[in-house]
Amino acid sequence: MKKEKGIFIIFVILCVLVAIGNPNFLSPANLKNTTRLIGIFGIFSIGSGIVIIARGIDLSVGSVFSLIGVILSMLLVKHQVAWPLAMLIVLALATLIGCFHGTLVTKYKIQAFIVTLCGLLFYRGIARFISNDVTMGFGYGEGFSIVQYLATGNLWGIPLPFILMLIISVLAWVFLHKSVYGRYIFAIGRNEEATYFSGINTDRMIMLTYAICGLLAGISGVLLAFYTNAIAPSSHGNFYELYGIAAAVLGGCSLKGGEGSIGGIIIGAAMLQVIQNLVNLLGIPSSLNFAVMGIVILIGVLADKFLVNRQMSK
Amino acid sequence: MLMKKTICFLLLFTALLGPGCQRNQKPTIAFIAGAATDFWTLAENGCNQAAKELPEYNVIFKYTTDGATEEQKRLIEDLLVNNVSGIVVSPLDPVNQSPLIDKTAEQIPVIITDSDIPGSKRLCYVGTSNIDAGKSAGQLIKEALPAGGKVMLFVGKSDAQNAKERIAGIEAALKGSNITIAGVKTDNIDRVRAKANVNDVLVSNPEINCFVGLWSYNGPAILNAVRESNKLEQVKIVCFDEEEETLQGVKKGDIVGTVVQQPYEFGYQSIHLLAKYISGNKNAVPAGKQIIIPATIINQANVDAFIAKMQTVRKK
Repeated sequence: MKKEKGIFIIFVILCVLVAIGNPNFLSPANLKNTTRLIGIFGIFSIGSGIVIIARGIDLSVGSVFSLIGVILSMLLVKHQVAWPLAMLIVLALATLIGCFHGTLVTKYKIQAFIVTLCGLLFYRGIARFISNDVTMGFGYGEGFSIVQYLATGNLWGIPLPFILMLIISVLAWVFLHKSVYGRYIFAIGRNEEATYFSGINTDRMIMLTYAICGLLAGISGVLLAFYTNAIAPSSHGNFYELYGIAAAVLGGCSLKGGEGSIGGIIIGAAMLQVIQNLVNLLGIPSSLNFAVMGIVILIGVLADKFLVNRQMSK
Repeated sequence: MLMKKTICFLLLFTALLGPGCQRNQKPTIAFIAGAATDFWTLAENGCNQAAKELPEYNVIFKYTTDGATEEQKRLIEDLLVNNVSGIVVSPLDPVNQSPLIDKTAEQIPVIITDSDIPGSKRLCYVGTSNIDAGKSAGQLIKEALPAGGKVMLFVGKSDAQNAKERIAGIEAALKGSNITIAGVKTDNIDRVRAKANVNDVLVSNPEINCFVGLWSYNGPAILNAVRESNKLEQVKIVCFDEEEETLQGVKKGDIVGTVVQQPYEFGYQSIHLLAKYISGNKNAVPAGKQIIIPATIINQANVDAFIAKMQTVRKK
């Protein structure tokens, strides 16, 4: 709880500083753009975070985006499948991919890092193969403009991906912080063996975390595909798994498992997007983009450590 | 009995190997492209067409998936081990790869495509002049902004050779006019960032009235971001290359024009040239050791004809 508070204060300070530097930061157009991206990135960050809380890791998210985008485009554009069915197929596929990772991790006791690293390589390769390395697009969206609207549209002036993220985070919050299953996941992250001997089916719970991660990656994947409206199989979503992992850790999840919160993950994801936004708004050269991101995160984590430590010693 | 079986098996095995060996006797020409993008897929179509017309040659096409120079080096070394007769390379880093090209050119003929290495021992260069392409884009910008203004450039990596040359071409064309370049925004070949960059500039620099996409995917990224912000009236868009959405945008009048190269011709002409050279016709190489395939401007006037042409090329 304290960690969450620390990162929230830093996030607010960052926003205030950017708003002073360029008042356009708070203009409706910019708020819409940034919250839209926060929504898309926040959704899969929740999945990455839940896996991390159970002491796992998912490195395959970026490649899953590519595979899902390619398949979605093929279904909708090439085969003219009705959009509800196409969505169902890709979301089911993403969940199955998650279950597959979970099975390998629990039943065959392979390290999550290896399983999902192989996934990262494998899904990207498959995406490139089935698309023949051709960029897959959605054009002007005849017949499925409703789903396109999901990614690019607004409801009461609020971007839909952001609303979707809020709904998902409430559900995830109830699941993780209010239900007994959430307790199990935290317990597994702390000490898997002890949890197992307490009579909890740890394998099933770990499997569940990967399935959730897969499903949320699927939802983000659909939104991302319509956000760019075209998927270059070799580069779409490259390294995006790191945004999810960074958002989770920034928001207070420990890579050692057993720690973290949904609120923290959302603030972490928001922070990463605001940092990229500020690079452009404050006129910092694009070449410094990653450098700024690195240094702001580091300062944030250091300040967080300082705040938490001081509160503890009181 | 067992002996007989073994001999039978061995005979069968050699019979199976036979056709494989025969195929290897045909001279092989390899094309090493850049990263797997639409641009190089079109070049691959050109190579395939040339391969159909040259049944006495094997033509293989390789992408550089990581976009790293050491991968190109490994590809070339593997091809040399397999006794390839000639290669076409699109160097990722023309300045620093010239020793590699020279070493390879001592053993087999090498054609360079897309980005030339003028001082090297290459047989010939087949490609476009990116500086000229940049000048063509500059001309489009001037047409779009008769009263002058400010332009912002968008690209994946501004240190890539073709990006540098396109920027230099645009700068040269805009010299002396009342149009200034406000800056270059990079996105590391990430379409999400490419679109977010455009959104950010629309907010932070409302005075900019022309957006230029230097790489193929920057066109659709600019178009989508500007359209979703309802600013198509205020902002002019100029692009490069021929992505489907870019062409549709030109057709609708949302994009002023796009400057296209002809990657299909890169593949088609370089394979034919190498085949002629390997078969002994050394005069096939032009005296200047360069075959320049011109870049063309596509605007609303000629976009329909171009789309029709692209469709026939893609089908091949």
